[in-house]
Amino acid sequence: MSQIVKQNKFVVSVLVITIVFAGMTFGNMSPPPVAMGMQTIDGTTFNFADYSALTHEQIAIVNYFNRLVVDQPLNEWDGWNAENYMWAIQYINAFTAYMFATVCETTPGYRTDLYEDHAYTQILKMNTTYADYNETSMEYYEWTSIPGFTDYHFPNATHPDADDIDTGGFRGPANIMWTGHYALMMTLYERNFNTGAVTDELEWYINDWELSLTTDRLGSPQPGGVWGTGLIPCEPYVVFVQCNSIPLYTTELYDNMYGTSYMESGMWDYGLAFIEENITDEYGLYTDGYFVQRPVGSGPNAESSPQEIPGQATDHLAGGPRLNSYGTAWALTFLEYTIPETTIPKYQTFLDAYGKDLSGDMMYMLGSYAYPTSFGDVFGILGTVFTMTLANQRGDYHTRDRMGNLLQDMMNSVWSVDGREMYYDASSLDSFLSAVLSGFTVWSGVPVTVRDLADARPTGFWDYPYISAADDDNIWVYQAQWDPDKSGFILNIKVDSTSTLTFSNFDSLPIAYRGGSQFAQLETAGGGDYTLSLAPGTYQLVIMEGA
Amino acid sequence: MALEKLRMDHWTATLITIIFGLAGAGVFAIVNAIDMPYTMISLFKFGLVPSLAIIALVGAVRGPVAGFLTGYLGVVTHDLLFFNAIVTLTLPALAYGVLGLVAGLASYDFSSGRSLGKLSILSLVGLVFTGLLLVVIGLFVEQTSVLAGLGFVMLPLLTTGIPSVVLITPILARLWSVVEQNVQLPWLTHEKMDL
Repeated sequence: MSQIVKQNKFVVSVLVITIVFAGMTFGNMSPPPVAMGMQTIDGTTFNFADYSALTHEQIAIVNYFNRLVVDQPLNEWDGWNAENYMWAIQYINAFTAYMFATVCETTPGYRTDLYEDHAYTQILKMNTTYADYNETSMEYYEWTSIPGFTDYHFPNATHPDADDIDTGGFRGPANIMWTGHYALMMTLYERNFNTGAVTDELEWYINDWELSLTTDRLGSPQPGGVWGTGLIPCEPYVVFVQCNSIPLYTTELYDNMYGTSYMESGMWDYGLAFIEENITDEYGLYTDGYFVQRPVGSGPNAESSPQEIPGQATDHLAGGPRLNSYGTAWALTFLEYTIPETTIPKYQTFLDAYGKDLSGDMMYMLGSYAYPTSFGDVFGILGTVFTMTLANQRGDYHTRDRMGNLLQDMMNSVWSVDGREMYYDASSLDSFLSAVLSGFTVWSGVPVTVRDLADARPTGFWDYPYISAADDDNIWVYQAQWDPDKSGFILNIKVDSTSTLTFSNFDSLPIAYRGGSQFAQLETAGGGDYTLSLAPGTYQLVIMEGA
Repeated sequence: MALEKLRMDHWTATLITIIFGLAGAGVFAIVNAIDMPYTMISLFKFGLVPSLAIIALVGAVRGPVAGFLTGYLGVVTHDLLFFNAIVTLTLPALAYGVLGLVAGLASYDFSSGRSLGKLSILSLVGLVFTGLLLVVIGLFVEQTSVLAGLGFVMLPLLTTGIPSVVLITPILARLWSVVEQNVQLPWLTHEKMDL
């Protein structure tokens, strides 16, 4: 033995160094994929690969966000590293909520307080008012802290008469960047949990948008609404395609959930046509804003005011309309449900215009293709992550993964000591991006897309059996859904320490099967519920009602 | 003499060189698709990329042409199979071929530590050329930003590639020599007869 070592001193040396070096890099080792499997019960075959699933990492990131969202007062944002980005915190909160909605839909049979509290708290955090929280409120960060916003009127900005509309309100009519997101968060909450808690408030916003889009808000119908664009401004003086895609999508989902016909009434038709005719570039891709009023003073985006108003926001440095990839990807994602025949053909054009290849397995999106050698700015990174979500929706997983590979080269995955939480640490770029990139990594990786969420739950969904309570802190629910065709509940779960799950909506005593054989009979609990206790381990169970 | 250096001085040798290149490319594509652990220290990525060592190994075993084919075709195959992408007219893949080409320029005795050290050094030189070429192609052909080219192509290639080719290539080469000595590989026997 020693002779072999002596004869191979060099190789042994490099082998030892290799092992030591490799051992230092194992922190970012991905957990093994979730086990699937197949089982046949009384002639019915359940293939777990046929049902949507979360990965271990995705659940760990959701746990990380759950701590950030739920475990602190509504007006506190510790851990988000957003001290320099409080103006953007509403967007992070909203897009995290959309990511979370796709997570909920991936395991639709897992609806304990853990997920519902999370979704509801996100809504509450979006709606902290100046009256309650002063200068730590969302109302302050998003609206009242911006000089002059509360004084705006249309069309005469600051010296109104009776024919000018007050557009200086936080809740609208000209703050679609908040009202749109807030309403969509509520709509998705109702879609996923059906509590009815926010339905009335939601309806108010839909009606208010309709008023702005189809009338002059002074009592008379008006094509194109108040601003003549069929769209609603964010800052009181500029409309954005991406921001309007949110309330438009909300209207679609609202109609699908409650059987209303706002979309059929044509409330957004004028705006959709206006976008294609007026807020696009030479390729037909959406540009970054259209001014409907000249801003007073130096408000946000004022530097992009065009020579003539109304008109497209202008990039005065590069010339031409102001462009950005994140807004375009965002709009293409949310508009796809309504106008797929328009948005889907734009997808490849968008990649061609903004995409940059670094190698066969890595690419990124330019913030603006007017600056082809730019890289590393926040808008480029946002463009890349929004495009990952769009690519996931388009089923273009190669493109999504090529962009994901670039992001992976920026970050370490950081696990909590107990192994329950994980996030991507982007502090080498900007700590603020840690939450952003963690959230988008999940959003672009789950099997449920924004387009999928625009449909309401299927008929009978709320009568399907589901997990209504559980020891959430001890379990990892990878798959949980009722298969109405096969009358079986699919449960793929990892249990860290002995846990009890409570099931609701089973009509008779359920039996859990594992590997095609009976595993356990559930225990009867009060109120028609049933419980199942599981020891530590990993389980792929099919739960069916007994005879 | 030059053809002998390229291991293409005879039709059988040429054929075997090409087969080595193709086989190497296949192995590279598969190994390169395996997610390897890494760690980031600020903007520096550290980890091992064994697939790079495969390019250098094939170059060392079968000469510069086989090494070049392994790098070039390996990257093209990998990108096509796993990402459905051919970028910049396959020029980046060409850069990876240079790693194998440089490593294959010298001859080695895999049982000698000194010779394996030479292999490490030449692999390192080849990798540096690969990195430089990738940056040049990125900047002047694809027209990426300097930051992207240096920070997200060159830098990670060097910080993960240098330990990979310097450490793993000689280990693989030693293992190869052990296999060669103990297993009668028909194509090697045939080649020896031919030569």
